[in-house]
Amino acid sequence: MVGQDPPYIYGIISAKKVLEQKLPSAQALFLPIPRRILFGIPHLALSKPESPLMMEPAQRVSGKWNAMRSYILKRLLIMIPTFFGISVIVFIIINMAPGRPGTLRQTGDVGAYMRGEQTQESVRIFREQFDLDKPVLFNARFAITNEEILALLQKIPSNSKVANMERIHAYERLQDDGYYIIPQLIHAMRTARDITLRDTAVYFLRTNSQRMIPYPKAETAAQQEANHTVSIENAMLSNWRYQPESPEETKQQIIAKWNAWYDEHQGRWQYTTAGKLRMFFGETRFAKYWRNLLHLDFGVSLVTRQPVMQTMVSKLKYSISLSIISLLLAYLISIPLGIFSAVRKDTATDRVVTSSLFMLYSLPSYFVGTLLLYFLSKGSDYPRLRWFPTGGWSSPDSMQLTSLGQIKDIGWHLMLPILCLTYGSLAGLSRYMRAGLLDVIRSDYIRTARAKGLSERVVIFKHALRNGLLPILTLLAGLLPAVLGGSVIIETIFGIPGMGLWLIDSIYQRDYNVIMAEALVSALLTLVGILISDLSYALVDPRISYK
Amino acid sequence: MNYDTETKMMEGPEPPPATYAAIVWQQFRKNRPAVFGMWCVIILFLLATFAPLICMNQPLYFASNGRVSFPVFQSLFNRNIWENSVDIFFNLLLVLSPVYLLGLFLAKGHRLWLGARLPVLHFLLFLCILPASIFGWKNPLYIQKPIIQYDVLLQNAHEQGRNVRAIFPPIPYHYRQTNPNISGDPPSRQHLLGADKQGRDVFARMLFGTRISLTIGVVAVSIYVAIGIIFGALAGYFGGMIDLVISRLIEIMFCIPTFFLILTLAAMVERRSIFHVMAIIGVTSWPEVARLVRAEFLRLKELEYSQAALALGLPRRRVIFRHLLPNALAPVLVTATFGVAGAILIESGLSFLALGDITVPSWGELLNQGRLEQKIWLIMYPGLAIFFVVSVFNLVGEGLRDALDPRLRK
Repeated sequence: MVGQDPPYIYGIISAKKVLEQKLPSAQALFLPIPRRILFGIPHLALSKPESPLMMEPAQRVSGKWNAMRSYILKRLLIMIPTFFGISVIVFIIINMAPGRPGTLRQTGDVGAYMRGEQTQESVRIFREQFDLDKPVLFNARFAITNEEILALLQKIPSNSKVANMERIHAYERLQDDGYYIIPQLIHAMRTARDITLRDTAVYFLRTNSQRMIPYPKAETAAQQEANHTVSIENAMLSNWRYQPESPEETKQQIIAKWNAWYDEHQGRWQYTTAGKLRMFFGETRFAKYWRNLLHLDFGVSLVTRQPVMQTMVSKLKYSISLSIISLLLAYLISIPLGIFSAVRKDTATDRVVTSSLFMLYSLPSYFVGTLLLYFLSKGSDYPRLRWFPTGGWSSPDSMQLTSLGQIKDIGWHLMLPILCLTYGSLAGLSRYMRAGLLDVIRSDYIRTARAKGLSERVVIFKHALRNGLLPILTLLAGLLPAVLGGSVIIETIFGIPGMGLWLIDSIYQRDYNVIMAEALVSALLTLVGILISDLSYALVDPRISYK
Repeated sequence: MNYDTETKMMEGPEPPPATYAAIVWQQFRKNRPAVFGMWCVIILFLLATFAPLICMNQPLYFASNGRVSFPVFQSLFNRNIWENSVDIFFNLLLVLSPVYLLGLFLAKGHRLWLGARLPVLHFLLFLCILPASIFGWKNPLYIQKPIIQYDVLLQNAHEQGRNVRAIFPPIPYHYRQTNPNISGDPPSRQHLLGADKQGRDVFARMLFGTRISLTIGVVAVSIYVAIGIIFGALAGYFGGMIDLVISRLIEIMFCIPTFFLILTLAAMVERRSIFHVMAIIGVTSWPEVARLVRAEFLRLKELEYSQAALALGLPRRRVIFRHLLPNALAPVLVTATFGVAGAILIESGLSFLALGDITVPSWGELLNQGRLEQKIWLIMYPGLAIFFVVSVFNLVGEGLRDALDPRLRK
C-alpha cells in the first residue's frame, strides 16, 4: 500500500493554497493534513502541481528530479546569507572578547615600553601580519580627532597619574591605530608644550609609520618596485628616533625631518568619500577574513603558523572516523530498539528497555568515559581488567606493524571512545524513535489499516515505520555537526588528536583563525545536515514535494 | 449524559478540575516516576538550603564559661567564609525559610499560588540585596569578621581543662577548608567521601556543589527563557519584518553549535565567575524557546479571544503578556525543565574542561580532578551526583510533557 499514495492528497491543487486563500474546496474540508506538515517543515509545501498518477512513470521520476534539483539550488542560495550571518556573529564574539594574542599583556613588562623596544616591535609586526591591529567590523579611524590622540598620549609616560591598566589600553590603541593616526601624531608633536609628550609622539611616529609591503607575493616588476619603495621608506623612517636623554639639538633635527616628511606626503591621509567608505567597510579584520575565505583560505594558525586548512584536513580523519562509526552504530541499534519497545508498549520488556535508555540518556558521557578509563584501561587498579590502552589514536610503535595490525591497533584504541559516543546518541535516538512510532500508531490511518485486517507486521513495517522515521531524520541535522564539535570532551578524555581536542587547545591559546574555521565548518555542516534531513523527509514521505 | 456525570461514574466522587493548571497537575500526579522526580528536586533544594546545618566547620551550639552562642548562624553572612553570592542566596533562604514555611502553612487555600511565587519573591529580595552586598555598602548582609577556628579553640580548652561545650554539625568541615595532611586521602570515617588534592572534604564540596548546580540550572534557564519569550512573542505576534529578522536570527543561532559557542565564550571571559557561566549558557540557548513561543503566538493570535481582547480596547502589551503568553507557556515549561538538566550538564562539562569558575565547588571540577589523579572517589561521587540530578530533572520534564499532551489524557 505504500507505493500507492492515498489519491485524495494529490487530488487537490495545493493544500497550502487552499488554507491560505480559503478557497471553498469541498475536498479541502475532508483533507487530513498532519500538523507536522503544516507547522513542522518550513521550506517544504504539501502540494503537487498535477496528479502524478496521471503521468507516465518515467515522466514522474524525471519531473521529481527536476523539482528536486531546483529545490536544492534554492536552498543552497538561502544558505549563503545564513552562513554570512553566522560568520558575523562568531567573528564578533571571538574578536570582541578581551585577551588578545600578541599584546603587552601576554609579553608582560608593562612600564618598560620604551626600553623593551625589540619585543614591542615584534608584537606590532605580529599583530599587523594577522590583521589584529584592524578594527573588527567597521573602520572609522579616519574620524579620529587630534584631541583623542593627545589624551591617549598623555597616559603613556610613566610619570603620568593613570592606572597601569589604562596605560596598557592607551598603548595598545596607539599601536593598533597604526598608520591612520600619523597626522594626529604629527599634530601632537608640533603643538605639545610638554617635552615628554612630544617625545612620546615621536616614538609612536616611528613605529606607526612602518608600512606592510603591498605585494607579499610580488610577480611583476611594477609590484617589486612598489615593494622596494615601501621598504626603503620604512628603513629611512625607522632611523628617525632619539632616546629621551639625548640632547635637545638632535631631537630638534629629528623633529624637523618628521615635519618635512609629513608635509611632503600629506596627501596620503586626505581621504575622499569613496576612500572613507572603502576604508570603513574594507580595511577591517572581517573584510580581510572574508576576502581570504572566498579563496577558500582559512588563514594561518597564530600559534603553529601552519595553514589552518592543512591542519584541519589532517585532523579530520580522526574525528570523522570516530563520529561516523558511532553515528552508524547508534542508528543501527536505535531504530530496531525503538520499534521493538514501541510495539511492545507497556509490557515488562518495554519498561526495562525504556528505563535503561532513560538512564543512559541522563548519564554524562565524560563520567562514563572517565569510569571506563579508570577500570578498563592499562592504568587500571585491577590487573585483570587492563584491556584497553589509556588513550590516543594508535600505539607509539604502530608504524612497525602490518597494515592489518595497524587497523587492529587503531580499532583497539577507538573501542572506548566509540562506546562513549555511541551510547549517548543511541539513547536519545531510540527514545525519539519509540515516541515517533507511538505517535504514528495512535493515528487514524493505522487504525484503518488494522481494521482492514492487515497483519500487525505489515501495519508496523509498511504503514507506520516510514512516518515514524521522520523525527529521527530531523535529528540527523544536529548530529552531522557533531562530527566536529560534539566529541570535544570525549577527545579530551581519550587524548585523540582530532578536531575537538584541537578546538579546545586553540580556544585556550586564543588561536582566532582556528576557532573561526572550526565554527564555520561546523555551521556549514549543520546547514548541510538540515538540507539532508529535509530531503530525506521527502524521500520517506511521498506526500511532501519540492517546491 | 454530561461530562460531569460521566467522569463521576468513572472516577468516583472527585469533581473534574476547573483550571488548566489543575488538569495538568492531576495528570502529572498520576505519573509516579515524575512525582518521584519532583520530590527528589524538592529534597535537593532543601539539602542545598540547609547545607550549612549539615556540613560546616563552625559549631551549631557553643558554650564557654556560661556564654552561649550559635556560631553557624552568626557566620551565615560572613564574607570571609562565604565568598560567592550563590551561598549568600541560599543562606538568606535558610534564614527566611521559617517565614516562608509559615506563610505556606497559613495560606492553605493559596498554597499553589504562593508556592509558585515564593521563589520569585526570594530571588527579587536577593537581587535587591546583591549589589549592596557585592560593593560592601552599609547593609545587614555584609559582614566581614575573622574566622574563628573552633576546633583549635576546643582542643586548647580541653587541654587547659576548661569547661567548653560545642555541638558541631554532622560533618564538621567547610568546603573551602584545606588541610594538606589529608590531601588525596581515600574515604574514611572522618572524611566520608575522602578528600581532594588540596585536602578539602569531598562530602562538603559535593553538598555545596548542589547549590551551584541548582543555581546554574535555574538561573541559566530563566535567562534564556526570558530572552526566548521576548523574541518569540515579538516575532509571532507582529510578524512581517520583525518576524523575518528574528527568524533569521533564530536560524543562524541554530546553526552555530551551542556547546562550541559556550566553550569559546567561556574561554574568552577573563576571571570567570559562576555568573559568567550562567549568562553564557543563557545567551546561547534561547533559540529553541523563541521558536516554540513564536509558533504558539502564530496560532494564538488568530484565535477569537485575542481578537476580542483587542476589540475591548486593551493595549497590545496587555494582550500579549496577559492573554496570549500564559497560553503559550506550556511547551516552554517542558523545554525549561529539560533545559535545567542540560544547563547542569553543560556547567559540569565546562568545569570538567577547566573552563568553569574555579572558586566554587563544582561537581565537574571534582570529576576532572578524579580523572587527572585517577582517584575513584573523586570520579564516582560527583559523577553519580550529576547523573542523579540530571535524571531527576529529566523525569520531571517527561512527566510534564506527558501531562501537557492532551492526546495522552484518559
